[in-house]
Amino acid sequence: MNIHKYEKAWLVAAMVLIVGFIATITYGAVGPGIAMIDDDAGSIDPNEISDHERFGETGVEHLGGNEYEVDVVAQAWSYSPSEIEVPAGSEVTFYVTSRDVTHSFTVVGTNVNTMVVPGQISEMTVKFDEPGEYGILCNEYCGQGHHTMEGLLTVVPEDEFDLTELSTDAPREVEAGNETTINATVNNGMQDGLETTATLEIGEQQYERDVTIDGEGSAELTFDVDTDALGAGEHDWTLTVDDHEESGTLSVVSETDGGDTNE
Amino acid sequence: MEVTRMSSTASRTYLDQFPAEAKVIKAAFWSSFMALAIGGLLGLVQALHRTDVLRFIDSADYYTVLTAHGILLAITFTIFFLVGIFTWAVTTSLDRGVVDIRFTWAWYIMMVVGTILVGVSILGGVVDAIPMYADVLFTFYAPLQAHPAFYVGLVLFVVGSWLAGADWFRTWWAWRKENPDERIPLPTFMALTTTLFWYLCTLGVALSILVFLLPWSLGIVDSVNPLLTRTLFWYFGHAVVYFWLMPAYMMWYIMLPKLSGGKLFSDPLARVVFVLFLLLSTPVGIHHQYLDPGIAEGYKFIAMTNTMFLLLPSLLTAFTVVASMEHGARQRGGTGYLGWLKALPWRDPVFTGMALAGLMFAAAGFSGMINAGMNINYLVHNSWWVVGHFHLTVGTAVALTFMAAAYWFIPQVTGKELWSRQLALGQVLVWFVGMTFMSNAMHRAGLFGMPRRTAEPQYQGFNFDPAVGTVGEINAQVALGAVLLTVALAMFLLNMVLTSFNDDSDSLPANTYAGTLSGPEDSPAVLDNLKLWTAIAVVLVIVGYTLPLASIVESGGLFGPDIGGFQLAIETDPALVLESVREVMP
Amino acid sequence: MRISKGALLVVIAVLIPFVVEFRTALSWFGIELSVLESLVLGGAAILAVVLWAVWPPNGNAEAELSGSR
Ligand code: HEM
Ligand SMILES: [Cu+2]
Ligand SMILES: [Cu+2]
Repeated sequence: MNIHKYEKAWLVAAMVLIVGFIATITYGAVGPGIAMIDDDAGSIDPNEISDHERFGETGVEHLGGNEYEVDVVAQAWSYSPSEIEVPAGSEVTFYVTSRDVTHSFTVVGTNVNTMVVPGQISEMTVKFDEPGEYGILCNEYCGQGHHTMEGLLTVVPEDEFDLTELSTDAPREVEAGNETTINATVNNGMQDGLETTATLEIGEQQYERDVTIDGEGSAELTFDVDTDALGAGEHDWTLTVDDHEESGTLSVVSETDGGDTNE
Repeated sequence: MEVTRMSSTASRTYLDQFPAEAKVIKAAFWSSFMALAIGGLLGLVQALHRTDVLRFIDSADYYTVLTAHGILLAITFTIFFLVGIFTWAVTTSLDRGVVDIRFTWAWYIMMVVGTILVGVSILGGVVDAIPMYADVLFTFYAPLQAHPAFYVGLVLFVVGSWLAGADWFRTWWAWRKENPDERIPLPTFMALTTTLFWYLCTLGVALSILVFLLPWSLGIVDSVNPLLTRTLFWYFGHAVVYFWLMPAYMMWYIMLPKLSGGKLFSDPLARVVFVLFLLLSTPVGIHHQYLDPGIAEGYKFIAMTNTMFLLLPSLLTAFTVVASMEHGARQRGGTGYLGWLKALPWRDPVFTGMALAGLMFAAAGFSGMINAGMNINYLVHNSWWVVGHFHLTVGTAVALTFMAAAYWFIPQVTGKELWSRQLALGQVLVWFVGMTFMSNAMHRAGLFGMPRRTAEPQYQGFNFDPAVGTVGEINAQVALGAVLLTVALAMFLLNMVLTSFNDDSDSLPANTYAGTLSGPEDSPAVLDNLKLWTAIAVVLVIVGYTLPLASIVESGGLFGPDIGGFQLAIETDPALVLESVREVMP
Repeated sequence: MRISKGALLVVIAVLIPFVVEFRTALSWFGIELSVLESLVLGGAAILAVVLWAVWPPNGNAEAELSGSR
């Protein structure tokens, strides 16, 4: 077979190009360590997502240090959770699976982009250095509402981030003169301990309480409210722990016009 | 040698030589043009809808339109044209007709019936009178589930194409008996090698449909493994892109040199190129699944390496085609380093269309190399970049070559002169310019994250942030490009219709193709050993696919964990604004 | 004419992707052209090519005649 000498030169150049490409991609995989989505996270039965240890409860979880895990379930046509918050400088591992058809989990403008195939779990780890907001979208057709499937990822400055959850339990109405309490549960989702103060404001009154919670722990807080000092009427209250707030209204009724207790 | 043989048939058209075959080819071309006409118009609807320039359909129906656009253009238009060209190539280069013309009609009709079934089931998405659903796009990923008619139609179409391949093989075997010692003529060699990898790759999608999707849509089995059917689809899905491309390559190898006024640079190298496609087209499909869970990185790496080597035949083609054009130009009196370019027949729409298509394919090569780069794929996967890429490859390198070729072929098979060469030249130029605008904007949109396959890529909670220009500008550019493309399409169809009614048939070119500077006698006989190459191709596929498929079956089960079908529609009842998820399987 | 009319049309068509991509390329160097500026630039480039194409190769009338077939 006779091959023209220019043709030979071209052939050699083409091979160099090809080998060069393979080399750069290999470098990308071992140098900066860009790993591909693979089969490490295993498979899952989509009918059993709700009982799954990982996806039974979705959202952000602290693994310790600057490592976090985010579990997301995709379904037509939303993500659960649809809003995700992680601290800057953290290393975040996403686990995503689908309840119905194939979707994607794509964080716009970043390398976070994976297909979400029912029966499989996609796992990817990313580092977010700078605070910012990123859109999340589905780029695989998943039915007529596909274009409405979106979410938001917020990377907040490290010192503004916590995994504190606050919930309250308070009566709506109380008779004047009676003792009443506003109860709060503060949950610390971080592995590290939490030291802070809880503040309850009601009417003109203000109560403060120091709170110390272990990693992965919670604390019950009880505020005794002096209804006499409040007087009859509607009283808005706010309970604040760091930047978490819960509020409600307490109506103090005098004994005479009581009876409106069809709550 | 072909060149001498062909001079004997000089000044006779294909219609004169093979009137019966010419009829089937003409029918196949018209089926192809009809798909192009409808599909192209739907493309315009999509472009205007997505960019919010003009929205006159419901966004929920967008996906019906997109399914039709994808199927009609990527499958129907391309493959009907291919069977036409290959039938021409085999009969012309063997200088004998098909063995049994009834068989030829049979596969053509089978393909038509398949297309109609698929078309009607897609139409069910917008026409209430048709109780079918097939809004599953041309990739039909389970557990999205189409009506059984959709799958049956696809199977008929593919089996029709298998029979077409059998037809070409039979014709070649018949010729072989009459000419036991001759080399396979180049065009036939190209058609046969292409057919072989088509058999190899369609096996995957046939398996996916016949064993899994069709029984599942009929309720015979009630679960599928979505990753398995998806992997089987892509086992076919990359090779199919080469299936579209091979007739275009054939045109570049055997028509362009002739049109440039010269000969093909090297017959042996052309054979090497087609053998490489036979070997490498299939064991690369996993490069479409770089971002799929459930497939180990190692398999992705192997697919990536194979893909990169698959660049080789295309790079070789670039060389041979340009060298052949230069040779032709110099025969026509061209001189100088680049001055020879002036001597090429730029006024000939067949030549210019193919040359521009080749140029765009070079550009597509660059964006393709990005796609193939495993880790860069994170950035572009399923973004509009990909759509920009394949409108350069199948949407231009293939489609524009086909349209340009039609300006030569339709007169050949109808015996009627092309109605207007000027209009034809204008048409290929307008297509080129239109695609420049549309594809450039799509690529750029992909880079800032705009997704493909999305009716309204405008989101509530965030905005895109383009590196250059604004989203509005990009949308305008896409719309402009799409309008130009549609104009070009109309120019093409007008010319084809008027040619069919043209009474003029005086100066028809003869049915010839390019001779070669370095002929088959220069190439080792082993190149023609189709059995050997097929065997190696099968081994490569087994090596590339056994382990990934085994691990997918192992982790998800052959039929998956009770995964039923979904037909996800937005509830239209305004009282129920909530989207409802309709599961069709019990 | 220095090149045939067909070739001139092709050159103009092929110029368009270059103008379009030029805008993208310039932005890497921090130069952002507006759409209008790109249009003007493209128009100027096309005009230059047309002028070059129709200009007689070496100024004298005979050359123009022989070249413009
Ligand atoms: C008038 C010319 C054309 C226009 C205006 C056009 C427009 C479009 C647009 C806007 C999309 C993107 C839809 C989306 O991502 O949401 C698209 C997708 C597509 N086009 Fe075209 N197109 C044209 C011609 C072609 C041709 C000639 C082919 C192939 C031969 C083709 C093949 C495809 C395919 C395969 C898809 C992807 C479908 C999918 O994602 O399922 N198009 N087209
Ligand atoms: Cu989606
Ligand atoms: Cu591919």
